[in-house]
Amino acid sequence: MLVLGPLGFMIPWLLAGLALLPAIWLILRVMPPSPKLVRFPGTRLLLGLRDPKPVARHTPWWLLLLRILALAALILGFAGPIWKPAPEQAGQGPLMVVMDAGWAAAPDWPQRQARALRALDRAAANGQPAALLVADGQTEGALPFVPATELAAQLRAIRPAAWETRYPQDLDTLLAETPESGLSVLWLTDGIDHPGRTALLSALDARGMVTVVAPVGPRQSLELVAGDQPALRLRTTNRTDPPEILAIGTDPQGAPRELARLTAGEAQDENGVTSRLVPIDLPSELRNRISRFQIEGQDSAGAIVLADDSLRRRKVALVGDDRASEGQRLLSPMHYLRRALAARTDLIEGGLGDVLQASPDVIVLADQIALPEDQELQNWVDEGGLLIRFGGPRMAGYEMLTDEPLLPVRLRPGGRDIGGALSWGEPRTIAPFPTDGPFSGLSVPPDTTIRAQLLAEPSPELAGRILAQLSDGTPLVTRQALGQGQIVLFHTTANAEWSNLAISGLFVEMLDRLVLTARASATQPEVETTDELFWTPVQVLDGFGRLSEPQDPVPVPATEFGKGPAPGAPAGLYRAAERTAALNAGGPMMPATWPGASIEAASQAPGVELAGWLILLAAALFGLDAVGSAWLARGTRGRHRNRGATA
Amino acid sequence: MTPSPAELRARAEEASAGLPALMLSAERLAASVTAGVHGKRRAGMGEDFWQYRPATSGDSARSIDWRRSARSDGQFVRDREAEMAQSAVIWVSAAAGMDFAGGPDRPTKRDRADLLALALGMALLNGGERVAIAGHLPRAGRMQAERMADDLVRRLSISGDDDTPAPELLRSGQRLILIDDFLGDPAPMLAYLDRAAGSGIRGAMLQILDPDEEAFPYGGAVLFRSAGGALSHDTRDAGGLRDAYLARLAERREVLGRAALNAGWNFGTHDTASAPAQALLWLWSVLEG
Repeated sequence: MLVLGPLGFMIPWLLAGLALLPAIWLILRVMPPSPKLVRFPGTRLLLGLRDPKPVARHTPWWLLLLRILALAALILGFAGPIWKPAPEQAGQGPLMVVMDAGWAAAPDWPQRQARALRALDRAAANGQPAALLVADGQTEGALPFVPATELAAQLRAIRPAAWETRYPQDLDTLLAETPESGLSVLWLTDGIDHPGRTALLSALDARGMVTVVAPVGPRQSLELVAGDQPALRLRTTNRTDPPEILAIGTDPQGAPRELARLTAGEAQDENGVTSRLVPIDLPSELRNRISRFQIEGQDSAGAIVLADDSLRRRKVALVGDDRASEGQRLLSPMHYLRRALAARTDLIEGGLGDVLQASPDVIVLADQIALPEDQELQNWVDEGGLLIRFGGPRMAGYEMLTDEPLLPVRLRPGGRDIGGALSWGEPRTIAPFPTDGPFSGLSVPPDTTIRAQLLAEPSPELAGRILAQLSDGTPLVTRQALGQGQIVLFHTTANAEWSNLAISGLFVEMLDRLVLTARASATQPEVETTDELFWTPVQVLDGFGRLSEPQDPVPVPATEFGKGPAPGAPAGLYRAAERTAALNAGGPMMPATWPGASIEAASQAPGVELAGWLILLAAALFGLDAVGSAWLARGTRGRHRNRGATA
Repeated sequence: MTPSPAELRARAEEASAGLPALMLSAERLAASVTAGVHGKRRAGMGEDFWQYRPATSGDSARSIDWRRSARSDGQFVRDREAEMAQSAVIWVSAAAGMDFAGGPDRPTKRDRADLLALALGMALLNGGERVAIAGHLPRAGRMQAERMADDLVRRLSISGDDDTPAPELLRSGQRLILIDDFLGDPAPMLAYLDRAAGSGIRGAMLQILDPDEEAFPYGGAVLFRSAGGALSHDTRDAGGLRDAYLARLAERREVLGRAALNAGWNFGTHDTASAPAQALLWLWSVLEG
């Protein structure tokens, strides 16, 4: 780098080309211009005449000047001029470059790389030894100091990782070869606080001067929020208009495309990070096809949420007595359940023991009682299954109903009849749904009536477990959480025997809502206690958020898997047995602060590059030259045209 | 390239569009020359009465005017004024070089030559002479002016650099006016003058040049090409050739002038930047003499 006043040159030896300009001037000068053609009747009188002074005519001086200026602009332009280049980094001691290499570093990765390369170039020019600390959690042992030139190739090769930036924890080992003082540190931060950063900063600060290069632009991350209605949480480090979220999946032809655009909701500030909730308000046909969500225009693994089972179609098992179906299909509760669920879920049917093997998300029991496999069923619910039970004549007639396990409330044997031939009351309608339950917002058709129901024993917990009730306050649907799963009971039948709920559209909507809650809480993959379970990567993300097949998939133990993306377990889609789960990188962020370090804004660093402008100027001058030459040529041709016109 | 008849007609019609203008300017020009019937002011063959003179020996009896002789003793002969038995033919070169004009503000040499030819013809017609453009029969009368204008305008340029008058024009009792730039090959023209002198035919030559041809205002690298395209001369310094060119032009004029003098002809020059009346007066005076 050659600095002349406020101007610096990246490739100063090219300036030697300027010495050639006088020679080019001379060459251009003696270049004879093409003769003008003149029609002249007296040509015969000229025949045989010799030029008295055979001198070459000169190119006009202004044309010559134009060409020389254009050449000079080209030479200067390619010499890489920089107006007011950034001053050399302070300190002449060994240089240490710390590259944050998590997903948050991905959006402006080329700028970071360029900045680090520039620092290494200068260190190489000054003969400083250098070290490169890539904070992707894969650095082990002491950091070696080598001549700076050897690090450039390594620096060009590294890519941001699909997990959070990780700093080495064992600082003593890391800094074993690092000099105790005189160190100059260039820290290219991603702007977010990570564990161990303060310790590393103070350790480095003690040994020398730390310069922090701030990132360009805001950081953004996307996270799936558990709940009855799955939603996304968008976090940004600035408060501008939120970007749109793209839902990407396969269209019905199987081609991947953008299926929907989601807009973020209300902003909420915490610790300098703006977070917004993005509801996934999409028809389930569309939602089932989504393979990932992505912040528009952000190339980072943290800006991508891969969709897994928690967003997928649920596998629903129907267990019930289907023997009556031979002649009386319309009387069977299984028929109504099938019709209600088949459109949006994968249905399996069979005995309870069989369907448990298939590990469904939801098991629907239609008027089943005293099941022999109730222990297995309980385990399954414990692990996050959703058990939906329906009442019926069998349940009502069962004597041991109070002892029946896997019911959300204790039931009174016998049930009750309302509006029957032997009762006084009218059939009850359904009360409007509470606004905080899973059925909130569903409208109740006024002609839906319940003629018979199972009654719950009054208890203090009863009110908290009711999801829907009749107009007289008796429960229609109750729910109880059990382990990670839940048990839901419809106090009426799944067929039209006790009520006409089963033949209303409301029935379908209620089941839909319930099924959607199944395993919705499993977005944060549950920490398995068994060591046998391994998750195998199917597709992995790189730091830029590009999806690819893993080269050699290394299975990740379930215990590690639960801790989020890490070295060895990059963000991506994993499979274990029949389940797929996504490991998503985006998560909470906390802006980093840098006490004791000097902060260099990324934009001020490189100075103003003039190369483009100079080359543009050269092009403009060449254009002018072409116009000028054409004008000279036109002068000769124009005479001929005039003569032709008068002839 | 020979134009098809239809083409020829189209071009001719296009050319005759300028005819009224030519007629008008030629008429105005001709009016500046002294006009009027010019008899020979001597006795000779003619129709008008000139004088009675006493009969001398040699006069035949038939020539005696008996009515006049009866009034006195002598015998008188009735003389008639001699009539000019001459006709004039005007030849204008059709060489391609005549279409040259040095600048847009100047007429081409051909335009000027046509104008002079027609004006001269009209002046001669006004004097009662028989005139024609070369290639046509000389006639007298007012209508002949229109015909001459028509002939001039319809005359087509040839593509070559040289044009020479036809030998048939050399007929005794016919005066010949040659209008050309005389920049072509001089040999045929000199030979023609020799033949004219041999037949005792008199005439005039008017060299019409563009000011560019007289001053040679060129410089730098120039490729000169003759109007027909047959000759070309390449130079790097046209300005340096000026003196040599002017010398050659003067030499050419001298050769032509001397040849004309030897043949009893007159040689004059005219450039298109000066007024045409000058050239017309010169031609008139030459023919008068």
